[in-house]
Amino acid sequence: MSIAVEFSNITKAFGPVRVLREVNLALVRGRVYGLLGENGAGKSTLMKILAGYEVPSSGELRIDGHTTSFQGPRQAEAAGIVMIHQEFNLAEDLTIAQNIFLGHEVRRHGLLDDQAMRAKTAELLKQVGLAAPPDIKIRHLIVAEKQLVEIAKALARQARLLVMDEPTATLTPGETERLFKLIGQLNAQGVTIIYISHRLDEVERITHEIVVMRDGRFVAREETRHISRRHMANLMVGRELSDLFPPKQLVALGAKHPVLRVEKLSVRGWVTEASFEVRPGEILGFAGLVGAGRTELFEGLLGLREHQAERVELDGHPMHWQSPRGAADEGLTYLSEDRKGKGLHMDFGLRENLTLMALKRYASPWLRPEAEASALRTAVQSFGIRTGSLHIRASALSGGNQQKLALAKVLHPDPRVLILDEPTRGVDVGAKRDIYFLIQKLAGEGRGIVVISSELIELIGLCHRVAVMRAGRLQTILDASHLTEEELIAHATGTN
Amino acid sequence: MPPEPTENVRPPSAGGNAAPWRRLHGAGPILGLVILCTLGTLLNHDFATFDNAMNVLTRTAFIGIIAVGMCFVIISGGIDLSVGSMAALIAGCVILLMNKLGNVGFSPVAAVGLGMLCALLIGGSCGFLHGLCITKGQIEPFIVTLGTLGIYRAYLTYFADGGALTLDNTLSDTYSPVYYASLLHIPFPVWVFIAVAAVGGVILNRTAYGRYVQAIGSNEQVARYAAVNVDRVKVLTYVLLGVCVGIATLLYVPRLGSASPTTGLLWELEAIASVIVGGTVLRGGAGSITGTVVGAILLSVIGNLLNLTNLTSVYLNAAVQGFVIIIVAFLQRRRR
Amino acid sequence: MNPTSSLASTKPFVRPKQSVSRLAGVTAAFLAISMASTVMADENVNLGVSIPTATHGFTGGIVYWANQAKKDLEKAHPGLKITVKTAANASEQANQLQDLATVTKINSLVIFPFESASLTKPVAQVHDKGVYVTVVDRGLTDTSAQDAYISGDNTAFGKIPAEYLAKALDGKGDIVVLRGIATTLDNERMDAFNSVMKDHPDIKILDAKYGNWNRDDAFKVMQDYLTRFKHIDAVWAADDDMAVGVLKAIEQAKRKDIKIVFGGAGAKGMIKTLMDGSNPMIQANVSYSPHFIYDAIKMTAEARLKGEKLPATDIIPSLLITKESAKQFYFPDSPF
Repeated sequence: MSIAVEFSNITKAFGPVRVLREVNLALVRGRVYGLLGENGAGKSTLMKILAGYEVPSSGELRIDGHTTSFQGPRQAEAAGIVMIHQEFNLAEDLTIAQNIFLGHEVRRHGLLDDQAMRAKTAELLKQVGLAAPPDIKIRHLIVAEKQLVEIAKALARQARLLVMDEPTATLTPGETERLFKLIGQLNAQGVTIIYISHRLDEVERITHEIVVMRDGRFVAREETRHISRRHMANLMVGRELSDLFPPKQLVALGAKHPVLRVEKLSVRGWVTEASFEVRPGEILGFAGLVGAGRTELFEGLLGLREHQAERVELDGHPMHWQSPRGAADEGLTYLSEDRKGKGLHMDFGLRENLTLMALKRYASPWLRPEAEASALRTAVQSFGIRTGSLHIRASALSGGNQQKLALAKVLHPDPRVLILDEPTRGVDVGAKRDIYFLIQKLAGEGRGIVVISSELIELIGLCHRVAVMRAGRLQTILDASHLTEEELIAHATGTN
Repeated sequence: MPPEPTENVRPPSAGGNAAPWRRLHGAGPILGLVILCTLGTLLNHDFATFDNAMNVLTRTAFIGIIAVGMCFVIISGGIDLSVGSMAALIAGCVILLMNKLGNVGFSPVAAVGLGMLCALLIGGSCGFLHGLCITKGQIEPFIVTLGTLGIYRAYLTYFADGGALTLDNTLSDTYSPVYYASLLHIPFPVWVFIAVAAVGGVILNRTAYGRYVQAIGSNEQVARYAAVNVDRVKVLTYVLLGVCVGIATLLYVPRLGSASPTTGLLWELEAIASVIVGGTVLRGGAGSITGTVVGAILLSVIGNLLNLTNLTSVYLNAAVQGFVIIIVAFLQRRRR
Repeated sequence: MNPTSSLASTKPFVRPKQSVSRLAGVTAAFLAISMASTVMADENVNLGVSIPTATHGFTGGIVYWANQAKKDLEKAHPGLKITVKTAANASEQANQLQDLATVTKINSLVIFPFESASLTKPVAQVHDKGVYVTVVDRGLTDTSAQDAYISGDNTAFGKIPAEYLAKALDGKGDIVVLRGIATTLDNERMDAFNSVMKDHPDIKILDAKYGNWNRDDAFKVMQDYLTRFKHIDAVWAADDDMAVGVLKAIEQAKRKDIKIVFGGAGAKGMIKTLMDGSNPMIQANVSYSPHFIYDAIKMTAEARLKGEKLPATDIIPSLLITKESAKQFYFPDSPF
């Protein structure tokens, strides 16, 4: 019942940019494949062709030996091929059930059978482990929950081949475990799975075989059990990778004041009396399960949510800002976890995105586009943003490069304190390493950095201390000597 | 006019085969205008005279000036339906004020000057009121301005007792050059129109504020997270539009020296149509002042052309305008 | 009470010299009513008045005179209650009729309908409840729903200017026409104008475009006429509001060829200009005064108080107003 796929000489060009070059690849049915490659290597495009979202410029796609040309995702779905996107295809104002059955509504006597759809949805949600009622609107879900809805939606389509693009990027360890179990079940039922991820440990655990792409070309394939993680990474990057994390620098203890000090900050419904401080040069991590209130804590701190705080200090001075504008003026900026919805203007150019938070600098009083353009050139270079042209929209960049641009943007006002919410989500190994070294460098300049992350390895490898939140309360702050995965999970889940 | 940054950005997914079409998009309104003007010249040789061109530009000035302000509001993702009524109210208040000042012994020049200043103040205040209701009151702009649309016109009708408010003769003589005088053979309202459009273009494309307006229209959340003071920028767009309505009105009043309940009727639709025909997207995010100006001129050329010829039955004039708007919109549509 | 003097004070546009017979007829009718008045006089009359809202000088005048009638008549007759309702469109007017009948419980109605056809049924329903109905200006399509009909004279409104212009131009010349809004009323006037001009083959009607009974639109249309036609002898602006726009356009173009601008309806400002002779182009006017609503209310109220009926049809004639007679048509307190 599963599908065999063969790509034959697939080439895809967007205007002058060639994204895929003569890809030849055959996948047999019933296996779990790991598809690896850096950002912009062409993985997503290749999968979009498979799932009917894109048409190849040349070459053939063969499904079970028959040459096929899908005229859209619906045709691919009819053939049993379903793709779960990195960026969600969910209608925000419809309910979970309405989204899951969108375009495939169950009818009875010509009318919608909501009863049946709700029941089926509840069953699917249970299967993916999402404890939400089918009638809740997507708008009210957090990113991780949306991811689970996407997976439930794919299950509802009775996929025979399932493509997952970074499905665990937003999931907590517990949710990831549940997903892996689900993948195992599906595979046992004969479903072919193509798993795209930058998390090599996951790839190593659940896939049978890995396929590596680089610069739009197929590079290598290997049985997973015959290859090490280090080797995988080297294949992706095409060169030897030195250590992923930079060596931790000591925080200057002599500083008179913490650069950021928060006392008893509460956000109604999310956070209860959180207190912490960040010293100059320190990287403070924030760990916790999805829904623990980490993002909400900092959105409160910025004035994006209603909150009360006993005291907020920057460099020893009490602060009273009410909005991100005020915070930025005082020297604190925030990188959102939701790149598309809150991070970047996707239909703006790179230049306009980069300078938005520090625009006053370029206005005297007229904006100087040349100065902005030169700032962009500098940023593209120092942040390693890969783009053919500087005159494109942000939406034309690959996910990882968008993230680098977003980072460059929040750094542009030259803040004293930088809050990074999931700074490496959906970013490949090479870019991750770049970002880690960058964060280290920023801390070295005496700034205070907060990193919110669901990747425990990242928190352990990067941070001086890690605060753990559970159910809206800051449980503990662990320092370097106590930083282990077990300890973090124990505090995050309350099982210590 | 400074370059429009949003035009430089190429949509990434458009393939090479779409290029000839794409090049037409930005030029849609200009192309429409050129076609109309050629047609006009062929049908009536008086069309292409300097005097007729000045007539058209002068009468475009009111709508054009308002459309420049409207362009900001629409780019920021808002809308203002009240501009026509606001113009009527401002015209009425200004006439009442000038007459009053004239009666209590101010010199005509002082009375007219103060009245003009007052027009700008009332316009700005009305805009400020809209902005507050929309940002602090969190009411949809459509509803707020639909409400004030009725309120403003009703108050004018009340002030005028249902008739017309007329400027006293001496004041009217002092004031009339503001509409009827010319400089270098170009009527004064046209100069003001050019100035407002130029300033609008500079503000939109060359100031931080203009960039913020576009950022808010493109994605308000992203703008908010990027430390843009969203509420203040939005309020300012409405104030700006209000001031533009004030400017348009102080040019309008000396034309007939009167305001009546029909003053500014349907101006809001003409202004919004100018902006949209000019290539600005109704849901905000991107737009162009040049396009807006061309759009406004295009709309009044249609009316001018219909008056100068006997092309169709007079009953079909509105239909001709409708067809042209749709065709131009088709030429400049964007593929997303 | 002397009915003749009361008529003279309330119907000032009935000029004794020109319409002696007409006046005699009305007077006779009134006398008949007075003589037949009986003991029913003390029965209370609850009169509803339904008219359009003020969106134009003319309708502004209607509202003014209706309220004036309420004030005067309620003071004079303690048993009389008058309720004045204004509506912005036909459907709103239909709703108000229902309210008047069921909530206010009127027993007499004076209505100035927006449209004939769409209001015939609603009026018929009120009539069926036993309400005495006087229809003003626009007749119903089913005349059985009305007890009395008082109207202005649209045929004379078109005929009088046509005759005046033909005579003043000596049967030869070029005329441009501005029409109002496409309605039967406007068509009647235009047809009457054309039928007179048929007898004067040397008078050429160059064009007739819609100016929407609106100063601003008339200004634009006239500007374009001036661009298009190098020689114009006279303008039939067909409305005093439109005449204001026409005069401004001529003044701006500095054209000397136009000898006469003929407006219509006898608006306050134009009558003043005519009286003072301050503009040589304004030589005559034709009456179509909103004052007739006052007469309609007064006639209905007084007849009902006496329990009498009005004549089935009463056309209030449109009359030529000249410089000499202008004084009788001038009401400084009216907004129109």
